[in-house]
Amino acid sequence: MSKSGKSIKKRRDNRRVFFLLLPITIFAIAFVYFPFLRTIVNAFSLVNSKGEIKGFAGLENFIYTYGRKDFLPALRHTLIIALFNVPITLIITLTLALLSEKRRKLSAVYETMFTLPMSVSMSAACMIFKSMFSPSVGFINYFFSLKLGWFENSDTALFSCIILTVWMGIGFDYLLLLSALRGIPKSVMEATKVDGISLMRRIFLVEIPLISPTIFYIFCTNLVLCMMTSAPMIIIMGVRAESASTNTLMSMMYQSGFSSSDYGLAAVLSLTAFLLTLLFTILSFVTERRRVHYEA
Amino acid sequence: MKRKQKDLLFDTLVTVVAIILGIIIIFPLIYCFLSSFKTPSEFLNPKLFPSSFLYLDNFKNALERGNLLRYTLNSFVIAFVGTAVRMVLSILAAYAFTFYDFKGKNFFFFLILGTMMIPGDVLLVTNYLTVSKMHLLNTYLGVMIVSFVSASQMFMLRQRFKTIPKDMREASSMDGYGDLWFIWKVLLPLSKPVVTTLFVQSFINLWNAYLWPLIVTASSPEMRTVMVGITRLNSWEDENYQLVMAGVCISLIPSLILFVVMRRNMKKGGLDGSLVG
Amino acid sequence: MKKLFVVLLSLFLSFSFLFAGGAKEEAVKEKVKLGDEPVTITFWHSSSDEAGVLMDKFIKTFNETNPYKITVKGIYQGQYSDATTLMKTIISAENYKELPDVMQMDATGKVDYSSSGRAFTASDAFSAYEDISSEYIPVALSNWDYQGETLGLPFALSTTITFYNADMLKKAGWDNAPDTFKDIVELKKDMEKAGIEAASYGTVPNTPLLANWLGQMGSYVVNNKNGSESMATELDCIENGKLEEFLTEWKNLYAEGGVENRSLSTNQFVAGEVAVFTSSSSNVSSVLEKVGDRFTVGTSPFLRVNEEVEYGATVSGSCLVMFDSKDELRKKASWEFIKYLTGKEVQAEFAISTGYIPSNLEALESEEYKNKLEENPQFRVAPEQLLSTPKDMKSVTVGPSADFYYAIMNGVSDMLKNDTDVAKATESISSSLQSLLDQYKRNNI
Repeated sequence: MSKSGKSIKKRRDNRRVFFLLLPITIFAIAFVYFPFLRTIVNAFSLVNSKGEIKGFAGLENFIYTYGRKDFLPALRHTLIIALFNVPITLIITLTLALLSEKRRKLSAVYETMFTLPMSVSMSAACMIFKSMFSPSVGFINYFFSLKLGWFENSDTALFSCIILTVWMGIGFDYLLLLSALRGIPKSVMEATKVDGISLMRRIFLVEIPLISPTIFYIFCTNLVLCMMTSAPMIIIMGVRAESASTNTLMSMMYQSGFSSSDYGLAAVLSLTAFLLTLLFTILSFVTERRRVHYEA
Repeated sequence: MKRKQKDLLFDTLVTVVAIILGIIIIFPLIYCFLSSFKTPSEFLNPKLFPSSFLYLDNFKNALERGNLLRYTLNSFVIAFVGTAVRMVLSILAAYAFTFYDFKGKNFFFFLILGTMMIPGDVLLVTNYLTVSKMHLLNTYLGVMIVSFVSASQMFMLRQRFKTIPKDMREASSMDGYGDLWFIWKVLLPLSKPVVTTLFVQSFINLWNAYLWPLIVTASSPEMRTVMVGITRLNSWEDENYQLVMAGVCISLIPSLILFVVMRRNMKKGGLDGSLVG
Repeated sequence: MKKLFVVLLSLFLSFSFLFAGGAKEEAVKEKVKLGDEPVTITFWHSSSDEAGVLMDKFIKTFNETNPYKITVKGIYQGQYSDATTLMKTIISAENYKELPDVMQMDATGKVDYSSSGRAFTASDAFSAYEDISSEYIPVALSNWDYQGETLGLPFALSTTITFYNADMLKKAGWDNAPDTFKDIVELKKDMEKAGIEAASYGTVPNTPLLANWLGQMGSYVVNNKNGSESMATELDCIENGKLEEFLTEWKNLYAEGGVENRSLSTNQFVAGEVAVFTSSSSNVSSVLEKVGDRFTVGTSPFLRVNEEVEYGATVSGSCLVMFDSKDELRKKASWEFIKYLTGKEVQAEFAISTGYIPSNLEALESEEYKNKLEENPQFRVAPEQLLSTPKDMKSVTVGPSADFYYAIMNGVSDMLKNDTDVAKATESISSSLQSLLDQYKRNNI
């Protein structure tokens, strides 16, 4: 191809890209980044309880927020949730997907069971878990003759929240992994059978690398979701003394920011969470290049 | 012969294990279902089963008080149309990110991905203002418009599209077919399970939205969604769980129906060996 | 830094311009008499569950029977906190035409309503139409005072009372409910002697509980009468030593085994895990329903810190406020409607079916309500306590309400957990509460 031919193609490609990306970008800017701009402005402003900007605050909001006694615990809890939730979800869903990869007589039954948690909303799940794990009248303690406080004890509350968030993620992640596994070209699978390699080696050396794009997706989105967790803290924990042990960046933003009409603090927290999450995601994408294989 | 028997044994074992795991996983739902037959006093008894499955007051109350039937249609329209628009936008973007190289590709990709990392709560007031100035308050479009961007969908589609050999598009391009033809005729059929799964997930997601629909439809209760109805079951100071459980059961029905309908598509393998090349 | 800020701000404003246009004010209408022409008003409420069913019924009855051709469009707006978020959003967006004419609001909405610029308060109505303030229980009405104005009329009224498991107490040799912290300790000892494993009492003090106990001791938590007269800027219980006095009593109660350092809820009380429990009087009927015939439930006045202090607890619940629609007819219609909802018939019926206290004096004296109290002695405590509560006892109104609540709970709970010295705990609680007030002041003055 000649040089000018290349540049014509380049220009044509750019035009196409422009139209492909235009719709989503318009909505992203109008309904996410434009309002987020307001948040960034708020982070550096004095904002009153009506949300009006009263003046320039410099870094005061940051100093106040980071200096609060509950900031570091909130950050720690957020990271703990991510640290546990992400690998646990992956291990569980991957196991389930590998278990059900081959079609069997009752496949439909257990596949549906594994996927069902996906149909429940976060708030409904919170209600169900709250009552199921209630220390005195809940079924779990009764059935296993336990005396655990679950959500109502500072030592176990964070752990209980992790159980809930893991459960919420099972259905969707399992489904993606299953369809990825079943999408592995038959030729590849047959080749492994002919070679007669062991099951474990097949899983770790062939299947997992082949579905690594999906695994990478699950890793990243769960990481983001964990950084944004707030529903169990707000719906189940509410404002109780024990909620100090589960406070996350986002629940702190909700409670100390919105419920307490401190929009400067809310803005600082959401900006912090945004930048941290973005950093983690970018780091994940750097490793993606080395570890994720897209074409079979 | 022996080999076959061993396989059969293995399969049976796996099935049993899988079903046991399945029961554990859906246990919260079983619990929710059984609890919705309990009387208020019975609910405080930690036993799993209600004394009778004939106590239907919770369902009756949930339907009457929550106005659930009337809100179901709204939720359905919002979830369905909203998901459809989301899918189209995500597919176009994911396609551009996978099959084109252009300046600022990473920037735009992270620009879209970044929308996931911003909590909706901080966007509320400004978005309300925008929607209000566009005269979209109390309309379906007003409820849906803020959720047209779904970064996680775009991301998953990109992951899927990336596993499809690039020469397939080059071939179709050589044959003179355009982008949309390629997306529609090749990409989507190959990605059917992922697309269906994302559709279902997004539908459920929008179905369950609460605060934004509440705020946008402040002055017209007839535009409300099911989730707003459900909260009306839970009283403010005293916790009437059994009623909420019944409400949750009812609100799950459409998700479940969608689920069963879409199930076949969700799990089929995509790129079979025969399709490549 | 400042430059960047200006750039961002102007960027934001120019974007806002893109969506220019917006809410137009409705013209002020000529004065019209009610009843001349039909009028429709909007009413936001947060009555869910049983109360919601009743609310729908009241609205329907009003629409059918009022002589002024008023139609009320009742809209359920989620829980109080959701409705308040909604109100705040609309006010921030200055989209006033979306505001309702009447709204049911709890204490969390007070400050936002008052500063909305669109409040048409009960005080305004008293002077514009008629002063009916004498028709209500004084503490119920004054609970909605803020910055010298009565914001709204009390609708659902409750107070904190003590519930007890009468069977358990009897087993421990008690015929009456414990009255003071000291009694609780005695009760626990007797329960142990009788071999009862349950806790005697369990809670972590939060804003309303602290306001109650400090109120009994004649002190406020924050200045300006617990923030009811104007924005609270300082703590009122440090210099008079009352917080320290209370914490001393509380720590002592805990040390003697009287109280568990966790919030025990209705469910635990019903399950028999705790003998005494304090909660809103509006829960009486649901507690009775849940307990069924497991044991006998007794109620008594809210626990006292010690024998020297007064009885009483602050008022809680919700009120009905009006917004200024600039339309005289709608404002008059709104007034008629809230008079109806806080009037004798509705208040009596609402109280009888739910367990709230009627805010209307005539309803309180009505035969139906008296009969109800006669038949259900557990309901009697709340109205009696309310009438004897000192008028100066006020619930706490602060800007950062959620954080305040939380800081009190954490401060007290940490003191017990870490066995901190009371003086030190007082200092730490006071500094964390003061810094919240300071931060709010910084943003709002």
